Amino acid sequence: MEANEQLTTAKQLLDPHLPKKIRIKTLTKSTVISRSTLIILALLSVYAFFSFDYKQLDIGEVVLSTFANLKAMFLEPHLKHFSFTHALYQVFVTLGLAFLTTLFGAVIAVFLGLLAAENLTNKRVSSVVKGSVAFIRAVPTVLWVLIFAVAAGLGSVAAVIGMTFHSVSYLVKAYSESFEELDKGVIEALQASGANWWQIIFQAVIPSSLTYMISWTFLRFEINFAVAIAMGAAAGAGGIGFDMFMASSFYLDIREIGAITYFILAIAILLELVAIRLKKKLKVNG
Amino acid sequence: MTALLEVNHVSKQFGSDMKALSDVNFSVQEGEFVSIIGPSGAGKSTLLRCINRMIGASSGEIIFDNMNVMNLKKKDLKLIRTKIGMIFQHYNLVNRLSVIENTLHGNLGKKSTLAGVLGLYSQEEKEQAVNILHVLGLEEHIYKRADQLSGGQKQRVGIARALIQNPRMLLCDEPIASLDPNSAKIIMDHLRNISRTMGITVLINLHQVDVALKYSDKIIGINHGQVVYNGSPKNITKEDIQRIYGSEAEDLIFDVGGIHAS
Repeated sequence: MEANEQLTTAKQLLDPHLPKKIRIKTLTKSTVISRSTLIILALLSVYAFFSFDYKQLDIGEVVLSTFANLKAMFLEPHLKHFSFTHALYQVFVTLGLAFLTTLFGAVIAVFLGLLAAENLTNKRVSSVVKGSVAFIRAVPTVLWVLIFAVAAGLGSVAAVIGMTFHSVSYLVKAYSESFEELDKGVIEALQASGANWWQIIFQAVIPSSLTYMISWTFLRFEINFAVAIAMGAAAGAGGIGFDMFMASSFYLDIREIGAITYFILAIAILLELVAIRLKKKLKVNG
Repeated sequence: MTALLEVNHVSKQFGSDMKALSDVNFSVQEGEFVSIIGPSGAGKSTLLRCINRMIGASSGEIIFDNMNVMNLKKKDLKLIRTKIGMIFQHYNLVNRLSVIENTLHGNLGKKSTLAGVLGLYSQEEKEQAVNILHVLGLEEHIYKRADQLSGGQKQRVGIARALIQNPRMLLCDEPIASLDPNSAKIIMDHLRNISRTMGITVLINLHQVDVALKYSDKIIGINHGQVVYNGSPKNITKEDIQRIYGSEAEDLIFDVGGIHAS
């Protein structure tokens, strides 16, 4: 009863004050630009579909056979050219590759990250380190692996070096930014008591940013796992990625690809679960 | 009584035109409780930081314990800094570490790099830390993380960190500016106690003139980087306060006469 009464009074209050439609979005320069971009993109996609060369392909048939392929891949997976234990072992090889490169990357990145943090060194050193890691980051991991393959030959060595290289550049940025978030007063307080640089780093800087460092490192581990799969295929680094490469381009066995995909998916979900638990735990303590 | 600290003709220039301090002179006796008062931006914090050379003064000399702070080498500067404790407005504790760890940080300057990095402290150092925390009424919070404490408690940890250095002098940069009146009184009482019972010299920046007048042995008034008052709190007059705070000090929210009366 009361609620109804309130509603009617609210309506009565509003009605006389609504002479015309109220717009909640106004036409500013930015909305005009974003809307026209969307319209142009939509028109281009429509035009693209009309201008493709379909080579007498029947769209309906193509779509159907794609679904058939997907069905074979994911609903009828099997392992033919290697056993379940072999696949499990290969997954661990890939995980090992990801772990090793993340570990190497993290250790090197801590020291470079300290040099890259503006509040811990001077501006010049910081911008030199930040500039060079930005350059390394701009080149994709796969390319770094192929570059190192020139010296080390295609294989796991090139993959480890290349992936470490890219992990370092990624983690240096992440670490140095969390170091820079430390209140400069804390550093000042320890300096004023006569503490030296290394003592300040290990007693104030790293304890304060440990939570961030762990979550960034774990994120990089997940990325490295995905990259390690690709490296197995592209650079012959071994692991489950190489088996997938063989299944798809050597044996042409769609069902085996499906089985391998499930393996990778299971590990990815596992990693995600671990990451969530880790973060929760860190939040309680941190 | 000998002068523990002598500040002679100290000037500090930031950039080419910003003069933070110009020709500052004063001396502090061993065991004295000295307050520096003045409006915001007058150079109080700069002056305090010049004394332990967190900021290098442009000219003049600062004699602490018969050594000129201005031309010390890096190693000697660290040695001097271990003899001067410092307390800050925002406490500047490492929030993620415990109270006792933060307290022990005061000892880092006396330790080897490796022991400091690993956080290895001797039994005596730990006992001393516990004793100091007990005196400051923090014995229940020894293992609490610093960010779980209230402002007043944090500041007491800040004092503990300064005291474990066994300092000759404490530099306090507006230690009660972010505290409520009750916590502020506790902090000021602790500082006065420290000064009286341990004979530690206290040099403190304050915004609260009434607090400064109540607790200090000596007042140094600063305006525009210059010392405009240097003397006992008993002799300070309304005109002096006006000179320190500028013309708008006509009706400041406290009453000098009332303080002298009490």
